Amino acid sequence: MRGGSIYIERSSGLHWLHPLTKVALTALCFASAAALPGLPWLLALFVGLLLPLAIWGRLTGAFLKACLLVVGPFVLSLTIIQGFFSGGETVLFKLGRFAFTQEGLLAGLTFAARLLVALGGTLLLMQSTPQPHLMQALTERGFPPRIAYVVLTAIQIFPSFQDRAQVIMDAQQARGLELQSGLLNRARLLLPMVGPLILGSVMDVSERAMALEARAFSSPARKTSLNTLADSLLQRAVRWLLALAAAALLLWRLWSALQ
Amino acid sequence: MNSLRKEFTTLSITLIAVGIALNLALGTVVLRLGLPLYLDSIGTVLVGALVGPWAGAATGFLSNLVWTLTGLFPQAFAWAGVAAIIGALAGVFARSGWFNTVGKAALAGIITGVLSAILSAPIATYVFGGVVGAGTDALVAAFRAAGLDALLSNVAQGTFSDPLDKLVTFVVVWSLLLALPAREKARFGNLPVSAGRPLAGKTRRPAGKAAKKTAKKAAKKSTRRR
Repeated sequence: MRGGSIYIERSSGLHWLHPLTKVALTALCFASAAALPGLPWLLALFVGLLLPLAIWGRLTGAFLKACLLVVGPFVLSLTIIQGFFSGGETVLFKLGRFAFTQEGLLAGLTFAARLLVALGGTLLLMQSTPQPHLMQALTERGFPPRIAYVVLTAIQIFPSFQDRAQVIMDAQQARGLELQSGLLNRARLLLPMVGPLILGSVMDVSERAMALEARAFSSPARKTSLNTLADSLLQRAVRWLLALAAAALLLWRLWSALQ
Repeated sequence: MNSLRKEFTTLSITLIAVGIALNLALGTVVLRLGLPLYLDSIGTVLVGALVGPWAGAATGFLSNLVWTLTGLFPQAFAWAGVAAIIGALAGVFARSGWFNTVGKAALAGIITGVLSAILSAPIATYVFGGVVGAGTDALVAAFRAAGLDALLSNVAQGTFSDPLDKLVTFVVVWSLLLALPAREKARFGNLPVSAGRPLAGKTRRPAGKAAKKTAKKAAKKSTRRR
């Protein structure tokens, strides 16, 4: 867990897409994860849409690895919990008095596939889009710039905070703090470890705020950006189509649930 | 809405960004110490206590958004609402003086923990199929084996780990407030001036002679401390 981004720089069509087009794609993934009825459909969407996009973005390996890292633990937990406890007729094997059923296994895998589609869409978006571009695209459409600032600053300074935490921990250890001791002892070490980092960063805040004010942070004037995001009529149309498809999927699901 | 605007000055917005970064970075420390806690909301509770409920809620919500955007923990956004409520509660508790003593802070932490367990359980159950993809899922399995249903097992798992986690978080924040210079605390204006200190002025913004006296007293104290 290092750094504050999983963005991977490549020159590909996927990377060149306007961020909002990719956001619409992720929205469609979320709607599909919620609405699609069964395992085959969900896997088909992953193999038929997300995987080709990852290949187009020249991210295949990184994308699959990220999916495995994020969804893998869920697959394991879901298989065990749903397999043993969600009931069903077809018993695959028994462990003591608990039966592992085929229906439960299927329910667990379906849940995992829903997570794979939704989280896979998010991962692909973040692997192919730098966070500043995403925030710029959103602010251009009326997203509050202050929130964009908070999000981007947090992402930027968090790795340096991690480094500082590391330095503090090394320093405290050099002074004789024992890290390999009992649980209660280690819990007592928490304060000397996190205290200096937190206090130091809170006291830096006013300096940061002054620097911002000196750069017209709270001025209501419109700010321009050096970076321009390429957009096209075709992408606009695709965005609308994707959003419509997502809405239609959700409505269809709602309608069939009410039936 | 006036209180809302008052909580979002340039200063507090900067603090919110720092609070989010702290939430994310402290994971490293917990990992290194090998503690069985999350401690992923120290920044949220700190901002809530210093600035107020709205700022605390914003810190919690945006922390989870940032977790998602970094791609390191993309599922975090599902819990953004719970994180926002934790931050808001911290602000309310601090405003009503619950961070004045360690006992009250611990109690506030436990209450927040129970509430967050109850609010998180439906999300784990209905969005993630009853698991969170971590070691605590073993607890869920144990509760299911003991005969609880899906939702109740998740509530039980949460009440097993969340109150302790939030208790430690609140006590850590309490002791940080104790160590933070009064000047820094007064700058944000949510805490009653006496928070975390055994003695100081009684009003939130003391005025006139009495204020000068208390300020002097506080200054003397902090120099003595060093």
